[in-house]
Formats: sequence, C-alpha cells, structure tokens
Amino acid sequence: MQRDLSTNFYSIIKWIIIISFVFYAIFPFLWLVLASLKTNAELLDDPFKLPKVFQFKNYTDAIEAAGLGRLIINSLVISTSATFLNILFSSMVAFAIARHTFWGRNVLFLTISAGILVPLNALIIPYFAIINYLNLYDTRTGLILVYCAIGLPVSTFILTEFFKSIPKEIEEAAYLDGCNFVSRYFRIMLPLALPGLATAGTFQFILCWNEFIYAMLLTSSTDIRTIQFGISYFTNQFFSDYVGMFAAVVVSILPSITVFILFQEKVISGLTAGSVKG
Amino acid sequence: MELKKNEVIWLIIFIAPTIALFFLFFLLPILFLFVTSFTNWNGINAEFVGFENYVKLFSKKTFIRSITNNLYWCITAAFITVPLALIIALLLSHKSRGWKVFRTILFIPQVVSSAAIALMWLALFNAEYGLVNSLLDTMGFSEYKNHNWLGAIRTANVALIGFSLCYVGYFMVIMLAKTTGISQEYYDAANIDGASQFQKDMYITAPLIKSTFFLCIILAVIFNLRQFEYVFLMTAGGPANKTSVLVVYIWNELSVQRLGRGNAAGVIMIAIGAFLLIVLRKLFKSETYN
Repeated sequence: MQRDLSTNFYSIIKWIIIISFVFYAIFPFLWLVLASLKTNAELLDDPFKLPKVFQFKNYTDAIEAAGLGRLIINSLVISTSATFLNILFSSMVAFAIARHTFWGRNVLFLTISAGILVPLNALIIPYFAIINYLNLYDTRTGLILVYCAIGLPVSTFILTEFFKSIPKEIEEAAYLDGCNFVSRYFRIMLPLALPGLATAGTFQFILCWNEFIYAMLLTSSTDIRTIQFGISYFTNQFFSDYVGMFAAVVVSILPSITVFILFQEKVISGLTAGSVKG
Repeated sequence: MELKKNEVIWLIIFIAPTIALFFLFFLLPILFLFVTSFTNWNGINAEFVGFENYVKLFSKKTFIRSITNNLYWCITAAFITVPLALIIALLLSHKSRGWKVFRTILFIPQVVSSAAIALMWLALFNAEYGLVNSLLDTMGFSEYKNHNWLGAIRTANVALIGFSLCYVGYFMVIMLAKTTGISQEYYDAANIDGASQFQKDMYITAPLIKSTFFLCIILAVIFNLRQFEYVFLMTAGGPANKTSVLVVYIWNELSVQRLGRGNAAGVIMIAIGAFLLIVLRKLFKSETYN
C-alpha cells in the first residue's frame, strides 16, 4: 500500500515536471503566433486576449513591405548551395578516410574533427579580412563558402563514422570487377550512405538557415541579406510595428522547424552518434 | 583497399577541397588572429606593439566583465540547464505515453535560429506588451507591471538566464539516447528486488549515463563561451555593458577598427576555451572511462 502511494506520488511529480518544461519550450512560440495575428492596438491592450479578427494581413504586409520575400529567397539560395557543397566535399573526404589507407590519414581526420571545438566566433575579424581579401565581401559566394567551410568538421565527422559502419564487401567485389575510384564513390558508397547524407545534410541546412553573425559581418546590401539578419532590423527602436515583426519572425522560423519535424529521427541519431563518442 | 596507381590522383582530388577550405577558414584565421594580436592593426596599417593589446584589455572593466559574464553563462548551463536536462531525460526514459512527442517539442528551440529566439524573448520581456510582465501582474506581483527586465541592471542577467532554460532539450536528447542503450537485465533484476521507479532512475539509469552527463557539461560550457546573438540582439551588451560577453566585445572592437585589440580578445577567448576543455576533461576522465 505504502509502495503504491510513493509510486503514484513520483508519477505525479514526473508529469508536472515534463508538462511544465514542454510548456516552457512551446508556449512562447504559440504566444508569438497568436500575437502575430493581432493588431498593434490589441497587442498593447492585453497580451493574453485572443484577437477579434485574425490579422493575416500582417503576414502579407511583412512579405511585401519589409521585403521578406527577397530575404527568404536569399536564405534559400545560400543555404541550399552551401549544404550541397558541404555534403559533396565532406562525403568525398569521408570516403577517402573511411575506405583507404594513406599517409597522414588519422592526423587529417583528427585535425578536421577538432575543428568542431574551435570557437569560431572568436575569428570574426580574420574572417572579415579574408573575405575582403578574396573580394567576396557582400556577395552570396562569400557567404556560401563560409557556411560550407564552418560545417565541414561536423559533416566530415558524421559521414566518416557512417561510411565506416557500412560493410565493405560490396565495394570490394566491385573493386575486383575493375570498378574505379570515382565510380566506387558515386555508384556504391553514395547510394548506400543516403541515410547518413540526410543526417549530415539536415544538420548543415539548419546551421546555414539559422546563421546570424557571419551574415551580419560579411554582407551589407539588401539584395544579398539573409532572413536571420533581415529580421534583426525589426529591433530598431524607432520601429513600432510589433505585429509585423512577429509575423516576420514566425516566417523565419517555419523552414527550420519543418525540416526538423520531417527529419527528426535523422537529427537525433546524428546528434547522438556524434556526441556519444565524445 | 589497395589503390591502383592512377587512383592516387583521385584520392588527392577527393581530399583537396576540404583541406583547402579547412586551411582557409580554420588554420589561417587562427594563425592570423594570433599574429595580428601583437599589432595595432586598424585595417590599413599594422605595427608591432608587443603585449600592449593584452595589457590594455586586462585594464578595461568591460573586458573583465565580459569574461565573467561568459563564465556566468557557462556555470549556469553546467549547474542548472544540464542537471535539469538530466532529470527530464530520466523521466522520459520510462517511455510512458507520448514520450517521443515531448522529446520533439523540447528539442524545437534548438533548431530555431538564435536571432528568432532572441527577438521572441525580447517581445516576451517587453515592458509594455510583454507576456512576462502580464503574467507576473496577474499573479499579483504588480510592482513588475512595467518593469523593463533587460534594461535594468539588476534583472538583465537574470532575464537572460531565464530564457536560456528553453535550451534543455538539446542535452536531454543526448542523455535520453544514451539510456536506450542500457540493458533491460538491470531493470529486471531491480524489479525482482522490488525497486521503485525512483530508485531505478536514481541508482541504475543515472549512474550508467554519467559519462554522457559530463560530456553534456563540456558541450554546454563550449557553447556558452561562443554566445553572441542573444546578448547582441536582446541587450547589445547593455545596460552599461553589464551583460556584454566576449564575442560582443570583439564585435565592438571591430566596429571601431581596433582590429589588433579585437584579435587579442579573440586569442584570450580561444585560450579560455582550451583551458576549460582541458580542465573539464581531466576532471571527468576518471569517470568517463570506467
């Protein structure tokens, strides 16, 4: 009897803790969505109350007036190109490391992996100088290169571990049949490694889409600007269209949440594969 | 696999892009950072000035304040966020109804950009229409009705920490994944002995994921050293530089063209990171490999 009581008590505590943290994580987003559908007057009047009429106009306004459409297209172009290049390069080097022995292989892998631990934000001034030196300041190419590069350590780590876990037999058979290096990579490794590529690609896409400091550092014109840097303009103190800002923030959040929900098992498996090893 | 002769060239081609980018965006910047930190480089001219930048930095109150703020973030993450994440991971490891949905929801703040999260919490903390003040007002704390959380020296750091708690999901997911690898036999044996759920969590699961717990602390410390967006967008380091962190400090040096000094701050930041990493690894080593 005593037993059941304490078990029940623990169970109640458990649900209180879980529900309150879930609430803490999700409630601000729900409030934001709700607030983005109000008028400014309604928002200032009472932050809790439901809007009389849902103001979907806030969204169309944000997309037209604040040039949100342009920002989204920029972010999409930059994120997808950087993700494509990043996955191409890191899968190539991972193929070389995971399947072949050559001089300096372990040093190469350890050095690239150690890049995960470098606090890159300490390097903003050198990055600024290098991109300027390459004449890539305020270009999409500059941002694509930087995003591709900063994600290389994580992608290379995930893909090398993944490639190593794929049995070698198929590839060895192909090798004996005279299949060359490049077709072993394209025809055998890549198709077998699709789940791994999806994991690394999801990580990389979310990284690119969410990146802020380099977008602010390396671009200046509105034509190039990405959405994360774009929405920060709404914090300007003279800006009083709060609901417009909320609508823009909601729009900026949607793609990464969508990608995460679609590929959540990949994200979680990649996270644990990478970090459990330490 | 043995490489054929003409394949060596392909091997090199496959490695080359990554090496080139890694050199350009990791090795070269670090070298560059270190070298220019001993100069008064302003973007045009650079003269060797020895340790002047470092001496100047350590005599600046704001710089010291930025370091202590960074450490404050790291310590809060290590002693509050990660332990809370452990508790939630233990509770979700029972795999009761809906645990996967809760896991997904708790992870969502992690995939949303820091800029968006910062703007969202800026709105929540807003003195006029913010949710935090209305909630406090409804609960009877009327003195906070128009309190400017982020603008007041007393509460700015508290507010920043409060919002950082929405990041428990990341560490929770890592620890939760580790629990799935625990053999069912332990729990079967405990059930025969009549252990309660709490005892099983406390004496079986928790000790078995200890190494992952320590790993999460290391990750939390590293992430919080890199902190930039939240502080920059929510308080811009203010009020009166009370909330500044290292990267914000570097950013401000960059914007006044004191590039040499900014880089010296960058070197100090990397040094602190390396120091913390080595100390934590040493501290946890005996625990990690048992």
